Amino acid sequence: MTRLTRREFLRTSGRSAGLGLLAAAGVAGCAPALKGDFAPKTGRRVVVIGGGWGGATAAKYVRLGDPSIEVVLLEPNRRFVSCPFSNLVLSGVRSIDSLTFGYGGLRGHGVRILHASASAVEPDARRVRVGEGYLQYDRLIVSPGVEFQWEQVDGLAAARDRVLHAWKAGPQTVDLARQLEAMPDGGVFVLTVPPVAYRCPPGPYERACQVAFYLKTKKPRSKLLVLDANANVVSKAGLFRAAWKDYPNLEYRASNKVVKVDPSTREVTTELGDRVKYDVVNLIPPQRAGTIAVQADLVGADKRWCEVNHLTYESAKHANVHVVGDSTIGLPVPKSGNIANAMGKICAVAVVHLLNGKEPPPMAPGNTCYSWVNDREAIAVVNAYKVEGGKVVQIEQKLTPGQSAEWAQNAVGWATGIWQDILG
Amino acid sequence: MRTTIRLVAGSLSLMTGFAAGASAGPLDVPGATKALACSACHGPGGQSPSSTIPIIAGLAPWYFKKAVEDYATGRRPSPEMEPYAKYVREAGVDDVAAYFAAQSRQPTAVAVDAAAAARGRVASQQCVVCHGESGRGDPARSIPDLSGQAPGYLRNQMLLFKADRRSPGDQAVKTVKELMKSVPDDTIADLAAYYSSLR
Repeated sequence: MTRLTRREFLRTSGRSAGLGLLAAAGVAGCAPALKGDFAPKTGRRVVVIGGGWGGATAAKYVRLGDPSIEVVLLEPNRRFVSCPFSNLVLSGVRSIDSLTFGYGGLRGHGVRILHASASAVEPDARRVRVGEGYLQYDRLIVSPGVEFQWEQVDGLAAARDRVLHAWKAGPQTVDLARQLEAMPDGGVFVLTVPPVAYRCPPGPYERACQVAFYLKTKKPRSKLLVLDANANVVSKAGLFRAAWKDYPNLEYRASNKVVKVDPSTREVTTELGDRVKYDVVNLIPPQRAGTIAVQADLVGADKRWCEVNHLTYESAKHANVHVVGDSTIGLPVPKSGNIANAMGKICAVAVVHLLNGKEPPPMAPGNTCYSWVNDREAIAVVNAYKVEGGKVVQIEQKLTPGQSAEWAQNAVGWATGIWQDILG
Repeated sequence: MRTTIRLVAGSLSLMTGFAAGASAGPLDVPGATKALACSACHGPGGQSPSSTIPIIAGLAPWYFKKAVEDYATGRRPSPEMEPYAKYVREAGVDDVAAYFAAQSRQPTAVAVDAAAAARGRVASQQCVVCHGESGRGDPARSIPDLSGQAPGYLRNQMLLFKADRRSPGDQAVKTVKELMKSVPDDTIADLAAYYSSLR
């Protein structure tokens, strides 16, 4: 541990005393070191909150765009676990290790990583509070992902440890896979889909495919019941419904919003008052922007999502604060990993231009989104966009004509490429 | 099914994403910002790290522009590339083509089976006629460079040629399609391994 700490310290320590302290604080994760201006700014600095698909990409690309800008990334987790492909862990097709990466690549680009959470943003003072101290910034990029609205489902807040979401890839993904594995043959697995907008529109339906595939092959007398709060499959509806023809063990009920869960009786209750028994439940709660975005007053009138400028991703509410990824709203784009990656790059380019007194070029995101329908076949939706009159507009959306192993191969190619783009 | 992903920690290959001019900043290189949308799949600077997505770093502009046009019009059917090709046309295909042409191309990092590559070499006599001993093709005759390309991509394209699913009716690929009709799928995989292994 001592050696690791020292090595990590050496790798991340800067020339100034402040940065050395920052690195030490990040390694030890000890709040007492974080007092006052614990890493005084010596030049231009961008602070990034959140090292997921949007934030990690933004941190890397600011450094690539202008290496003279210091970048500090605040991310409490030491490892990056990919949400895309994590449904395959439930079916045993992939291991969680194959989706888990370190942040060493970002350090190689000179990104300073502090494994801590931002507790508040002070836009007027241009600083982020961490522990008992603060970090100053010239521009802030907030990429906090989603937070769950636990209170929307009666009984959920008290049952968080047993009623799993597995909607942030990591320990819960592995735990849910274990629950599925331990379920007796003949059991009922209930998967609930939250109302839009939520992270990864096709994700719940891909998960339904993977659970149904697992049950069909390993527990043939079992059943999957999908309770969807929405009136229809939210994404790739025709393709998913075609794929489900291979799964007679899957029952899909639209407009069945779950409003209550009771782990003691193993029962969920829908808005219509129907009570449904389960052996294993995977309850994906309703969602909003990550907590720091709400606390920092970056969310709009809906109190859920953040409005941003379509060219720079600068917050509609606070200057010098940018928001990327699933927390944003108002663009005609889905809450997908590919979009978060695209936003990270575009925002980074904009921030580099703005910090150099230049006008940011108009750049449009793109979206490539694969869903696995069994252990070897996938489907996809692809969206292209352009910027028109200062707004992002869609040029085209294209779906695969069906499911095939060819798209699954391309999905692996996509994942390999984009993980490299984010972290490599 | 389990794929080993190697994330390159060093910055050398990644800096190809922004080949900076002496005076301009990395983002001022023409096409650099327009090409950023491509890196999600094709890798930073077009240096794809995967087997199935092609390396487009160093791609000849004539080839890049034909591919974008064929994808955008649906002549070369691809649900993934059709929307992105339309994006590239919208952004300015000349800029994006010039950007990728200027990136230094590294051979694929995807390792192939040496025995398959050896078999592919033996089976490559017909390919050599157009693509040359080095596999580098001939831009003057619109023959693309195959050397060091991602193996899964090469294999899939040959299979598409064989089944006439790539650019049906396109005279430019008529010969290769005729040739592929008689090549067994296993030999196609060997040829892909061989050409991707060329340095």
